[in-house]
Amino acid sequence: MSGKASSSQSSIGLSRSSALSHVYIQYPPLRCNVPGSRGLFYDDGNKLILSPTSDQVFSWKTVPFSPLVAPTSDSISEGPILSIRCSLDEKFIAIQRSNHEVQFRHRETGETFSQRCRPESESILGFFWTDCPLCDIVFVKTSGLDLFVYNSELKSLQLVETRKLIVSWYVYTHESRLVLLASGMQCKTFNGFQLSSAGVIRLPRFDMAMAKSEANSKPVLAAEDINIVTVYGRIYCLQVDRVAMLLHSYRFYRDAVIQQGSLPIYSSRIAVSVVDNVVLVHQNDAKVVILYDIYADSRAPISAPLPLLLRGFPRFNTSVSQSSREDSGSSGANVVPDNEAVIYGDDWTFLVPEFICDVANRLLWKIHLDLEAISASSSEVPSVLEFLQRRKLEANKAKQLCLAIARTVILERSPVPMVARAMDVLVTSYSHSVKTGSYLKGIKSEKTSPSSVPHVSSPRSGADVSASRVDSLEKSVKHASAAAAGVDNEYASDSEENPSSEPPTTNLSDLQIFDGNNPLNANGSEQQEAQLTSPAISPEEMYSFVFAPVEEEIVGDPSYLVAIIVEFLHSANSEKVKVHPNLYVLTIQLLVRNERYAELGLFVINKIVEPSKEVALQLLESGRQNFQTRKLGLDMLRQLSLHHDYVLFLVQDGYYLEALRYARKYKVNNVRPSLFLEAAFASNDSQHLAAILRFFSDFIPGFQNTSDHNTYYRILNEMNSSIAA
Amino acid sequence: MGMSAATTAAEGIKFCIFDLRRGQQEGQELDKILFFFPADLPFSAQLSVIGLSEGLITFTRIFSPEAACEVIEAERHSHVFYEAEPDIWMVMVVEKNESEAIWRIDALRKVLKEVHSLFLMFHGSIRTMIEKEPAGGLIRSHLYPFIMDYLSACQKRSLLDNCCWDFLLGKKLQLPSFRDCLKERGTVQMLTVSREAAIEVQSLVRVLESFAGNTQFYSLILFQDLLVSTTLSPVDTINLFTYAVLRLTPRALSSGVSSWSYLRKGSTTSNVATGSILAQSASVSEQNFRSRDTSPPGGDNSHHIARPLQPDRWSKGKDGFLVTDIWGAEASSSTSATPTIWLQQTEERVYVCAYQYRSLTLILLVPVASILGEQGVSAVKQQILENVSFLPVFTEFFFPLLNPSVYSCPKQFGALIATLTYRSCCSLMIK
Repeated sequence: MSGKASSSQSSIGLSRSSALSHVYIQYPPLRCNVPGSRGLFYDDGNKLILSPTSDQVFSWKTVPFSPLVAPTSDSISEGPILSIRCSLDEKFIAIQRSNHEVQFRHRETGETFSQRCRPESESILGFFWTDCPLCDIVFVKTSGLDLFVYNSELKSLQLVETRKLIVSWYVYTHESRLVLLASGMQCKTFNGFQLSSAGVIRLPRFDMAMAKSEANSKPVLAAEDINIVTVYGRIYCLQVDRVAMLLHSYRFYRDAVIQQGSLPIYSSRIAVSVVDNVVLVHQNDAKVVILYDIYADSRAPISAPLPLLLRGFPRFNTSVSQSSREDSGSSGANVVPDNEAVIYGDDWTFLVPEFICDVANRLLWKIHLDLEAISASSSEVPSVLEFLQRRKLEANKAKQLCLAIARTVILERSPVPMVARAMDVLVTSYSHSVKTGSYLKGIKSEKTSPSSVPHVSSPRSGADVSASRVDSLEKSVKHASAAAAGVDNEYASDSEENPSSEPPTTNLSDLQIFDGNNPLNANGSEQQEAQLTSPAISPEEMYSFVFAPVEEEIVGDPSYLVAIIVEFLHSANSEKVKVHPNLYVLTIQLLVRNERYAELGLFVINKIVEPSKEVALQLLESGRQNFQTRKLGLDMLRQLSLHHDYVLFLVQDGYYLEALRYARKYKVNNVRPSLFLEAAFASNDSQHLAAILRFFSDFIPGFQNTSDHNTYYRILNEMNSSIAA
Repeated sequence: MGMSAATTAAEGIKFCIFDLRRGQQEGQELDKILFFFPADLPFSAQLSVIGLSEGLITFTRIFSPEAACEVIEAERHSHVFYEAEPDIWMVMVVEKNESEAIWRIDALRKVLKEVHSLFLMFHGSIRTMIEKEPAGGLIRSHLYPFIMDYLSACQKRSLLDNCCWDFLLGKKLQLPSFRDCLKERGTVQMLTVSREAAIEVQSLVRVLESFAGNTQFYSLILFQDLLVSTTLSPVDTINLFTYAVLRLTPRALSSGVSSWSYLRKGSTTSNVATGSILAQSASVSEQNFRSRDTSPPGGDNSHHIARPLQPDRWSKGKDGFLVTDIWGAEASSSTSATPTIWLQQTEERVYVCAYQYRSLTLILLVPVASILGEQGVSAVKQQILENVSFLPVFTEFFFPLLNPSVYSCPKQFGALIATLTYRSCCSLMIK
């Protein structure tokens, strides 16, 4: 992890922005400005930004994210608003009016009803809609959870279950379906429930770690110190310990919560976002962001702390402002207020998983990763490739970057073991993506339509997902929230395929989330742009975009490239990935260029170069200077039962009698007699010519009436007469 | 001279090397002789053999100016000729024996060729050496021990035998037996491996050779006495393979008494015990040869003559590298000088770094020009050690599949088991 930023890095030729940043927000933002707005609310179940006024509520879709999206509005009745969420089928709007009352309004009919609690003994902390089969909506109260079903006949909620608990505050994210209920003096004792489409799972109660500042003072944990994070289909909780200045991480399994280690923090205010399974820890005071890829066991950050960049802001880049101006339709389009450009302002609220809401300016920003900058900032090529291969949101960009990196390391003649590891990363990733189907799916969606075919799981996180599982996932996606798998008993054991990255908890099964609103596949728009769902690189692409271009550019001894190809074959062989014959042809050309015929022989005999017609023809071509090599090519044709070609080459080499015998034995009927006759004539041997004429007369019906026969019969007579004379 | 006992036996075979460009003046005929076996034959007898051979060569040239004479069958002797270098002839005169007379001629020519190829590999061409020191002392002092070592190499198994006098002298000079004639010289025995194993090997080879950077390293890998991989040209492969099978493979090492002891001191002392008779005979003969040298002894005596074919001089070091003191010791340190050989294809001199792990012998050839002397060699060795740290794993992986008879073979390797095939074995030489 060198501290180098993109600007100081030139090797890959990717660094095009001069900005020292790995994460950026793109100007313009989504402006959620309506007159009379009484605040902004985020409904993460439906990914909506809601802005109520006195008699209306405006909502903007954040997925797909577009600054130009127009709000829809619903009328609501007057009254205080503590929180507001739409039901998952978007038929109802639920508004928490007070600590004791939640009001429901049917969006189409306008019918309303309310649900209250006993004001003397409990108060409502909040509520959320759920796709759990047991209930439709959950109230979180100081006395526990209330699970309700909506009864459409009675037009009211029916209580189906109550979980009695003392709750100080709670945290819930829809993407994890997990609600954490804090209790205790320090609010560090937690009860957790996952209410997914697979049912309700109660997690064991656990305590979070809190360092003590002094002997008698005990810090109290606040809701904003807890972040539920969903990466690679796993659920973590990141907890800020302000005294120790650490970010503790916990991983949730079906029946256990296990602390996973801690990350240092450098700011008293931090926020956590997740973009494309990368965890972003915003150090608000320091105004920098640190990236972690929690897939690997390492807790080392991906790169050095660097600020968040605002891209395309008019003040910095006038050319962009021209095009971006038109959308800022609100008053004063020509004057972009400076305060919009404040990064890590006090009014910033970080929304799950990847949005920033500037409450004061009523702006919504989406956070993006700058993959170029990240990949350019590290010289550890294999780990960069691993990182890129795990990216899904910008799969195409990640793929192009991987190809560029692969080309560069070869052209720079990096040490062979290092390039070998890089090749191994790419081949392994491809192999996994083929096994999980995501590679083929990407191709399919690319070819058919960039429609809503969702990608299901990253090639790594879902490597063990069976085909049926993929199918079920597809269905679950199509039916929105109906048939999501959630936590599943099929996962008898932990499903990670990378044992080194695992804590000693392999008998635990992860809390999993596989459903339609999974962030992995929620961002349809970007996938449609990228079309690819996996950055995996097939052997064909490795040939076309890495080996072939490199072969043209590389200077000097080609044996280095042969070494790299051998390493690639090594990886492909151990992953049982089939290699395109083009690569073998290239290998032969490179060996021949160095006149290393003996090694070429070894390659062919040991089948390192797998037999194919392309390979055989290349051997024949390269064998013009080396008889042994040509022989290898001929033998390969014969072994592949390419009888026709074999016969043709035999004739070409002058072995026409042998060719005839072979043609007869293997019933090769479609060679032209004239070829043999010409060859025999060229050898000036009348006996051979006679033998061939006789052969064709005997075995090809009607040959005696052809012009070939007549011509060569005459020639034969002339030859004989000249001998006689 | 203590050789008198051998004179009777010497009639069975005569082996000489002579240079037609030398000794053309009357009275200087002895100058022609570069090597003669048996060395104790009177010069007159030696000269008569060479004179006859020269006469036959010159005579047959009249009829076949392009292709020189290869063999002359006389009533009681066969004369086998091989023109190793222009005007430098190797001749073997073998007493005929009823049953073996005809078929071994080609095998004998192959022996002559092999001797010369190996000499080329270690010392360069005979002509170059003659030109270096026209008096001929240098070439003679190299040829004699080299050929005697070579002949003894063919006889390594009876080394401890008391009759080792006989194999050097007389009929027991290891002429190719009927079995040897079936084994063609000048070929290599390849190990046929599965694709997986072949890729593993290639991967190892490429990684090793990639240390070289811009210069070209070469490598040769053997499993026991079988060739697994080579990046040398065919001719160099054959020579080095022949040498490796004679002296470097585990079997060759273990044929000596002390081969598994990595203490070189132990090795040398045991040499005294086992090879003393041979050494004596060689040195006596050498003296015999040198005494005739017309050149002044001068600096020649101090010149160290490497005897690469001398038996039991290689041993396996603690680090897995094979070491020898054949090439002398470095003046500054006690470590042995790294062996060097000539590659015929590229005409460059290369260091030989041989690394052995169990049955696997890996020979890396590093051009002398590309690195800085012994320090460079040890740097290369260090790199090998660092980068082949996976070699144990690698060979573990290979053992069951390469040698199923020795190691019990786990089932998962069943598919990978390679068959051992010996290419060669078929050159019955009936003319």
